[in-house]
Amino acid sequence: MIGARVRRKEDARFLTGQGRYLADHATPGLCHVAIVRSPLAHAGIRSIDVTAARAHAIAVVTHADLEAAGARPMSHLLSLPGIQPLSWGVLASDTVRFVGEPIVAVVAASREAAEDAAELVEIDYEPLIPVVDPFVALAPDAPLLYPEWGSNVFFTMATPMDRVDAALADAPHVLTERITHHRIAGLPLEGHGAQASVDAATGGLTVLASNQQPHQLRTVIAEVCGLTEADVRVIAPDMGGGFGNKQHFTREECLVALLARITGQVVRWTQDRTESLTASMHSREQVHDVTVGYDDTGKVLAYKVQVTANVGNPVLYFSGIGPALVTVGSLSGGYDFGALGFDLRCVATTTCPIGAYRGFGQPQAHVTSERVLDMIAERLGLDPADVRRRNFLPDAPRPYIAPGGARIDVGSLAPHLDQLLDECDYAGWRERQAAMRSEGRHVGIGLSTLVQGTAPTQYGVAGRFGSWEAASVSVLPDGTVTVFVGTKSQGQSHETVFAQIAASVFGVPIERIVVKDGDTAALPYGMGSWGSRSAVMGGGAVLTACTRVREKMDLIATHMGGNPTFEQVAEEVWWHAHRLPHHLEPGLTTTAVYTPGNTIPVPDVNGHLNFDETFGTHMTCVVAEVDGETGDVEILDAVLVSDCGVVINPMVVEGQHQGAFAQGLGAVLLEEIRYDDQGQPLTATLLDYTPPLASDVPALRIVHRETPSGTAGGFRGMAEAGIIAAPAAIAGAVADALAPLGVRITSTRLHPHHLRELLRAART
Amino acid sequence: MKPPPFDYVRAHTVDDALEALTAEDAKVLAGGQSLVPLLAMRLARPAVLVDVNPLPLTGIEVVDGEVRIGALVRHADLAATTASPLLAEAAALVGHPAIRNRGTIGGSLAHADPVAELPCALLALGGSVVAAGRAGTRTIAADDLFEGFLVTTLAPDELLVEVRVPVRDHVGFAEWAPRCGDFAVVAVAVVLEPDGAVRAAASGVANRPVDISDAFADRDERAVRAAVTRACAGDDDKAELAGLLAVRALAQAAA
Repeated sequence: MIGARVRRKEDARFLTGQGRYLADHATPGLCHVAIVRSPLAHAGIRSIDVTAARAHAIAVVTHADLEAAGARPMSHLLSLPGIQPLSWGVLASDTVRFVGEPIVAVVAASREAAEDAAELVEIDYEPLIPVVDPFVALAPDAPLLYPEWGSNVFFTMATPMDRVDAALADAPHVLTERITHHRIAGLPLEGHGAQASVDAATGGLTVLASNQQPHQLRTVIAEVCGLTEADVRVIAPDMGGGFGNKQHFTREECLVALLARITGQVVRWTQDRTESLTASMHSREQVHDVTVGYDDTGKVLAYKVQVTANVGNPVLYFSGIGPALVTVGSLSGGYDFGALGFDLRCVATTTCPIGAYRGFGQPQAHVTSERVLDMIAERLGLDPADVRRRNFLPDAPRPYIAPGGARIDVGSLAPHLDQLLDECDYAGWRERQAAMRSEGRHVGIGLSTLVQGTAPTQYGVAGRFGSWEAASVSVLPDGTVTVFVGTKSQGQSHETVFAQIAASVFGVPIERIVVKDGDTAALPYGMGSWGSRSAVMGGGAVLTACTRVREKMDLIATHMGGNPTFEQVAEEVWWHAHRLPHHLEPGLTTTAVYTPGNTIPVPDVNGHLNFDETFGTHMTCVVAEVDGETGDVEILDAVLVSDCGVVINPMVVEGQHQGAFAQGLGAVLLEEIRYDDQGQPLTATLLDYTPPLASDVPALRIVHRETPSGTAGGFRGMAEAGIIAAPAAIAGAVADALAPLGVRITSTRLHPHHLRELLRAART
Repeated sequence: MKPPPFDYVRAHTVDDALEALTAEDAKVLAGGQSLVPLLAMRLARPAVLVDVNPLPLTGIEVVDGEVRIGALVRHADLAATTASPLLAEAAALVGHPAIRNRGTIGGSLAHADPVAELPCALLALGGSVVAAGRAGTRTIAADDLFEGFLVTTLAPDELLVEVRVPVRDHVGFAEWAPRCGDFAVVAVAVVLEPDGAVRAAASGVANRPVDISDAFADRDERAVRAAVTRACAGDDDKAELAGLLAVRALAQAAA
């Protein structure tokens, strides 16, 4: 059953329109919320007049009203050295620091009526000077978001530089480059939303939320509302995507909970598309100033990166700090880059908060390392594949302990690359490329040799995140099996793959297994789904719990004698408990909390940190042709050789890779969140923010390798690999295609109009 | 969809529609493919929506060497017509199938989006529109119709009822958009006239479609490209795209 191409159990309801997303939970008397948001990027609030609005609404609520109702502030909860203290109200009170910051909530019988009343709210603003560009924000005379910090630097962290500087001084060659990573958005099809109600009998609060981590949302809502965790139940129903965006615990989710308590009504807010593009969270924006020392063979001897991360107005739980920390933690990926040094600055600006998006901080680190290796190859006249090979981690020992402490447990990298070059006919493409170039065509080949950290702990970067997962497994008297997991599917295939695991342990048909998630009442706690963790952590928990129950069933079967069936054992243990051996409890149910135990979230005696339970290896080759006139990029071939350890369901892995590749392609060829210099968003609708359509995405050819990990089941994470690999491989292909024209690619902006600009500049 | 409040009138005759349009801040609702998103985002706030969908303005016919197209002809139907290959080609490039199934030629021309395909094609064809008013109808040449960004010379109480273009078979239309179905950044329409002259228009390079026929005096590919780029000067990127697209559209027309 593990390894089989089982069709998805959840598809029957998703594909026939029977999925129940947040807004499908209609309730009699449901009230709707509209939010008055700041039209200015930076302003003081002199006064708020809600008199006229109140005449047309069930409730109109400001920060002062929330405080009066007992609301507590939110904060980033990071206890890192070098970070500024910051807490914020669920609604803004005296200052707004990005267009879209929420100020007033209006509750009415319909969203239209709430929007009508919201238009009657009058706010008197005192305009302040916006700051959009992080380097402008770093200038000594920059307007300050939080004057009490003394600058706009929210967080800094750096390694000692003496070793890397010495290695740079000794290196035969040194390359310096600035590589920019532009701002994009995660854009789940179903936006954020929450619906809350208070049980009049118990006072208990129930919140339905489209959230990837319902248990942690429960913790945050309980804190903000001043309740105990037992008072709050969070249910995350079917979700139309999350992609990390719904990993955060937002002001709006807390707001809806507070509004239900204030009004006594069932209250719902669903994010509209403009809110999702301007007032939710953005991702990726960083600038890397890289200094690299290398020898004549292309071996990197020293790798030093200054990372400047624009984190927007960081009023978001763990905010842009988390991704930026992952960037500096994954700078060298699967390479031995000799001496390593980094200097990270997270800079606040009057733009939408930066937060999580599939890949987190790894895409930036990977684009930079792959660009650097390609540039070294070009300077030395070497093949980029050979330069990668020279820099791969050695084959032994395993785990390989990286300079910072990462315990990298992947298989040998060179054979993996060989397989990729073979599968994509690399040598053949190089020949065809030469022929096509002689015809005036601009064809390039790009490589990404990714070692991806997966199933991470976020304790060190976000606080209160444990590296474990829970599952509760029961065999019912009729022999059906229920599995509750603390991961939360956003459309992945958890109902299928966890059922495959359970079915293989119990040796029963997959139809017998029912998998459920997303209800804090079903499990004491869970960590949700993010960081390519669900197969490793959720799968590990399901496997552990199922194995425990199975072992008990085996004992009972032996005690019964005569080869009883699965159903007979189930019936025996529930209905004929008096016949069980005395040392066995009646019932077939257990809750397991599983951890592989490999992470080191706070520095150990050696100063080592390891964020990831296990690593995957995913190597990609993209062949692309650039239209020298329009700047259009056509992908001629794309091949991914993927090693995610034991594959539970190849079809699911391939779907994840293809979808992530589409997002990675969109990120570099089509999408960009833009602001004008006053901090006004220029990409507030899907007319202006343009993710790829089906016709823009080529089929990715996927080949599996299987190097089992040491975690339960041997799984490795993989869900983010495609979105980390695609930008790097496509950038490499475009750079290779345009190199003969004198165009250099040092940015993730490969949109046709940017390429036309580079082509124009190269012509003149 | 959470529009501001508005009144709604469903017009069953042109006279009904004209009567309803005398109200302050009245707006015609045809296919709704531009207006409804603007309503949903509360960027448009008409007091009255006059729904003209019941009107019988859906025919395409050729009369005396002229193609007459009812204002409510949907893009999908226009894309399938053989009567005007240029309008058909332009209509096929509007949005996605769902948009083409609802959007109308009259709506697109009256909306006058400077990057839209159909105004550009109408201008290249030297066509005209028929506007009905309470005092009667008048014909407005394409040259005189488009005034600026989303602005035409139609009066607020007039209704665009018909589009007229000459029969032309040697035509070309080329556009560049980031994705299939997006608004074009730049589009160029080219028509070879029976007397051998070239009529051409470009969209996306100004606040309305512009006549670039003069740039085709010399038909040499390089000359056209340079002349069109000059004629569309302003934004370098768009001007260069216009030059490139003009060459492609001309080649298509001459084929």
